[in-house]
Amino acid sequence: MKLSERLTEAIAGGICQIGQVAILPQAGGAGHVLRHIDDGDTAADLLENHHGPAAARDISTWTEDGRYRFTKAEQSLKRGWQLHLADDAELLQALDLFYPAAVGLWLAQQDGRLEVEHLRDKLNRQTGMYRFARNLSDTGAQALVREVCGPANCCVKKILWQIDADTPLEDSEASRYDGIPGDRDRTRALPLLCREACNHFVAEARKASKAESDAKAEKVES
Amino acid sequence: MPFTPKPHAALLIVGHGSTENPDSSTPYFDHADEIRRLGAFGEVHCCFWKEEPSMREAEYLIDAEEVYVVPDFISEGYFTQEVIPRELRLDGPTTRRAGKTWHYTLPVGVHPSMTGLLLARAKEVAPDADPAQTTLFIVGHGTGLNQNSTKAIKDQVALIKSSGAGYAEVLDAYMEEAPLIADWATLATTPNVVVVPFFIADGLHSYQDIPVLLGFEAEPGEAASQREVFRHNPHHLQGKTLYYSSAIGTERHLADVILDQVSDFDAKHLLPK
Ligand code: SF4
Repeated sequence: MKLSERLTEAIAGGICQIGQVAILPQAGGAGHVLRHIDDGDTAADLLENHHGPAAARDISTWTEDGRYRFTKAEQSLKRGWQLHLADDAELLQALDLFYPAAVGLWLAQQDGRLEVEHLRDKLNRQTGMYRFARNLSDTGAQALVREVCGPANCCVKKILWQIDADTPLEDSEASRYDGIPGDRDRTRALPLLCREACNHFVAEARKASKAESDAKAEKVES
Repeated sequence: MPFTPKPHAALLIVGHGSTENPDSSTPYFDHADEIRRLGAFGEVHCCFWKEEPSMREAEYLIDAEEVYVVPDFISEGYFTQEVIPRELRLDGPTTRRAGKTWHYTLPVGVHPSMTGLLLARAKEVAPDADPAQTTLFIVGHGTGLNQNSTKAIKDQVALIKSSGAGYAEVLDAYMEEAPLIADWATLATTPNVVVVPFFIADGLHSYQDIPVLLGFEAEPGEAASQREVFRHNPHHLQGKTLYYSSAIGTERHLADVILDQVSDFDAKHLLPK
């Protein structure tokens, strides 16, 4: 079965939320309407109407106050819109613009074929200016998860990776987060999954690793 | 070249992307939309080095068992020869892995049909400039690190020269190595000059750095919005008339070059010789 058909099946089975996007069933199978989860009950004429999947990119690129949302799972999706989608394929395409690959990652997890990449593997694959990120200590990496990931830092993905195969993440709000923003029925939401540390995390790892080596150099000098 | 649709296959457009500037991924999404509109593939997806979805996540987006991977990059080099094969785990022109077949084409920038695109863009920004009185510059980054990026531009310059378009001069120039685009007024001996940046996206290079090097924008800082920069043609500078284009990769017909790269791949690797 195609991904879009499996998604529609999941929706028929009760799934009605992905990240901060609510999926509203339309009477008579007439496509789907998406809204911000906090606009779920807002009267339709108070919302700005959009049609077709491409609009999902425009809606999700900037925050309300004009900041670029380069980490798509930032908990900063703006409100006040509704998006009309004609069929299964358009729905999947739109969701892939809101939350890239989220549906496919979740379905792969359901099938037991989702490959997770641990942080060490991810950092060791970095080349060019990001190579330095490899030197980050385990302690530094654990701290970074608390500082970069999780809802306190705006990212609402569920982290699947560990530091390495033998080193789990230390317990924290970020490491415990289930990938479902809002206070809704967990069984009706499709979680956002983090299968590998993102670019933002890697960039922060590079900075933290530089800070660690500078601190060491200072100690030797003094 | 007419394209035979591949309803059973997926197209994966690979781009660079940016954590700072959403304009830098706009062309890739535009090209994907255009190819969807043409109905050339059963599915069309994008993935990026610096944006989501990452290359490693791309396989989870794709239904089809046959995937054409097209690097929407200007030249062969570090990205197309190292990063993309490593991230997508490709080991040659065709890779079979976990139930899927991946075909890896050359980057769009090295396709001969880019020549037509560059000529069309030059004509479009300077419709009244007589080619016989005009120098056409194709501008790249140039760093000395990647010889291939200058090669892709030099190849296009040679193709444009032999195309019969009639430009008095066609020159390659770079932001960071000689011949420098900052020296455009001495490099060009004609009254008219047309400058086309050979980049995929209108990132900082094409809407901020190059305009400063050409001399019609002040030092970087308050970046003129992209549209402003391209709307003010022509510029009268140093006794010449200068026309400046947006990056060639923002051209809608780049979608056709993507499809041309797929056709070329089939002709070279798949069709019986
Ligand atoms: S590494 Fe994963 S969980 Fe952490 S910020 Fe990036 S996407 Fe979010």
